[in-house]
Amino acid sequence: MTDATPALSPPSSPRLTPAFVIGATLVGLHVIVGLITLFWAPYDPTAMTGGRLAPPSLAHWAGTDRLGRDLFTEIMVGARIALAVGIGAVAIAATIGVTIGLLAAFASRTVDDVLAATLDILIAFPTLLLAMLIVAASDGASLGTAILAIGIAASSIVARLTRILARRVLAMDYITAARVSGTGWLGIVRIHVLPNIWPTLIVNLALQFGLAVIAEASLSYLGLGAPPPNASWGRLLQEAQATVYTAPFGAVAPGIALVSLVIGLNLFADGLRDVADPTRRRR
Amino acid sequence: MTALPIRASRAPLSVLKATTAAALLVMGLGPVLAAEGGTDATINIGSLYEPQNLDNTAGAGQGINEAFNGNVYEAMFRLNDDGSVSPSLVKDFKVSDDGLTYTFVLQPGVTFHSGDPLTSADVKWSIERVTSPDSKSSRKNSLKPIASIETPDDATVIVKLSSRSISLPYNLSYVWVINDKAKDLQSTEDGTGPYALEGWQRGAQLAVKRFDKYWGPKPENGEVVFKYFTEATALNNALLTGAVDVITSVQSPDSLAQFKDNPDFTVAEGKSTTKLILAYNDRVAPFDNVKVRKALARAVDDKKLLEAVWGDYGTLIGSFVPPTDPWYVDLTKTDAYDPESAKALLTEAGYPNGFTFTIDTPNYDPHPLAAQFLQGELAKVGVKVNINVITANEWYTKVYKAHDFQATLQEHVNHRDIVFYGNPDFYWGYNNPKVTDLIKASEEAKTVDEQTEKLKEANIQIAEDAASNWLYLYPQIVVSKKSVSGYPLNGLNSQFFAYGIKKAE
Repeated sequence: MTDATPALSPPSSPRLTPAFVIGATLVGLHVIVGLITLFWAPYDPTAMTGGRLAPPSLAHWAGTDRLGRDLFTEIMVGARIALAVGIGAVAIAATIGVTIGLLAAFASRTVDDVLAATLDILIAFPTLLLAMLIVAASDGASLGTAILAIGIAASSIVARLTRILARRVLAMDYITAARVSGTGWLGIVRIHVLPNIWPTLIVNLALQFGLAVIAEASLSYLGLGAPPPNASWGRLLQEAQATVYTAPFGAVAPGIALVSLVIGLNLFADGLRDVADPTRRRR
Repeated sequence: MTALPIRASRAPLSVLKATTAAALLVMGLGPVLAAEGGTDATINIGSLYEPQNLDNTAGAGQGINEAFNGNVYEAMFRLNDDGSVSPSLVKDFKVSDDGLTYTFVLQPGVTFHSGDPLTSADVKWSIERVTSPDSKSSRKNSLKPIASIETPDDATVIVKLSSRSISLPYNLSYVWVINDKAKDLQSTEDGTGPYALEGWQRGAQLAVKRFDKYWGPKPENGEVVFKYFTEATALNNALLTGAVDVITSVQSPDSLAQFKDNPDFTVAEGKSTTKLILAYNDRVAPFDNVKVRKALARAVDDKKLLEAVWGDYGTLIGSFVPPTDPWYVDLTKTDAYDPESAKALLTEAGYPNGFTFTIDTPNYDPHPLAAQFLQGELAKVGVKVNINVITANEWYTKVYKAHDFQATLQEHVNHRDIVFYGNPDFYWGYNNPKVTDLIKASEEAKTVDEQTEKLKEANIQIAEDAASNWLYLYPQIVVSKKSVSGYPLNGLNSQFFAYGIKKAE
């Protein structure tokens, strides 16, 4: 009954689902913590300020690691690294991915087929493996190579999505009309394609952000991310592994940080989709 | 004897694999393996060091010594667990007065696992295998004095030397005697030891079975299975759940807590020869300057690092020589921790504001942690450290082969390996003619006392030169089920003789 005249019902205002609010709060917290560490942290993240593997206390909220460094400080700084990698990788993925996706959508049939096949091969390649190859090929691991590697690995997914979305728009009658009226392809992209595909793209990029955070932790865990003593959560997890029985909190604390940011990003992306895609709001 | 004088890698990459293996063992094999003891018992040995292949001259890593030395392959001499050397496949030997001719008489009635009898031709072939240009044995330089090998009859081997070599019997203890008709030694074997290879499943385990035609005393057990793990936690869990009977060397002090207060397990501490060192490239500035090296030695509080990594275990060392080597001298006072004098020395050396260098750091514990510690300690004297994390393979090509590095962290496992400082072409490029001569002269010594005196002097000199930064000596901890006994404690040169291991019924 309610579906009888959906096209005529007035557009409902964007609804903020609880998931969206929780997601935005979690992400917001991490962003605030990350920003704070630019100016202040409880301790110097590399300073050996406490005893070996001290348990959580008032002085050290999350205890200390084997070198006596304050874990809470390291986790705070880790949030900044995780977010920096996420932002950098998503920016690279968006730039490369959207460009290639649009090129494929506009290209001749043959070029499009080649590009599509290449993207499929790249996507079949595990993101982490691709990132590891890129890091191995560069001269030594750094935060920059990690961002670049994760961004490039994610760009194939963005490119494929962009291509599909753009082709759907390009098949519309009003595009033919625009072409006939002499609008160049750049104009078509600007006026018609991008405005129509960005809501879906943004949601996908938010999901890619979460994946990038996990990928960075994985690379650092393997020693291929930001070199020590950068307080990446992956490095903290790797170092805590040797002492997981006697000082489990050393692994639990960065684990909570990582999980909360990734869950936050996923909920945030889900919420964004509800806001951006009106069809999702219908019952 | 390992192809590299270092530990094989334990890259965290294969953690999943190990965990899965452990899980499988726990769920599937555990109950089956928890079988009876007695003289036919199967002993399951848990280890982190799976060999790359089965040939100790082909870069197999320390794992092959652990599994095969004295178990599957024997040598003319045996390096016992207490550090002494005794004849093994040699029944008797004579040295000429000038020390240049050794005449060895072989044990009679020895057969290879394939059934062929041991002859002098096999011995000659086996020695030449290690000294050949293709051999990747890190110790092949030690066998350089061998000028020729003669085999007048099947039971006699005459080795002629170009110069005296007092440690020839010791050096021959890591030359496996192999059937000269053997093929494909990277995946099969043909030795004379008390066990013959039964099967090797890469990534999981290597099984050896008692060889019934063994010439020596019968082993105390029927079968030995080395089970390989890539991660210490998985290995400890395997012992806790009964999937393995003994762990050859525990690599994480924090896991010991699980076994120490548990009446079902025995925790035994032996004497280790594994040293963690910060090796400089002594060829390049500023590390070609003795004052700089001494300053860095004084800037690092080794005790604090040892505690961070090992808690209450381990030993401090002042040079490359561990207390089990006959030429040990306590040198911990040489360039002891003293940041003030470190700063003064740096100023004297022309670096009042310090300098920056990069440590190539293997990506497995404890190297990254140690690198960060050094970074913190050296920052206090104005020296900035960059950490470059690399894999074990990169270490081999970049550091060991190409000498393309400023400084690196590495663990050196071997016994009696001060001789590396007498080789100016070794990766760290330490070149003091006095030490080179002393080490050469010690080898040409007429008596063991003379050899010991010379090497003591060399030892003191390398410490005086702060040739490398010797951080600490690892502890050697063996943990087993209470019902298992008779295993070696020291594991010199990574050996793990299994024939004495008993399992109570």
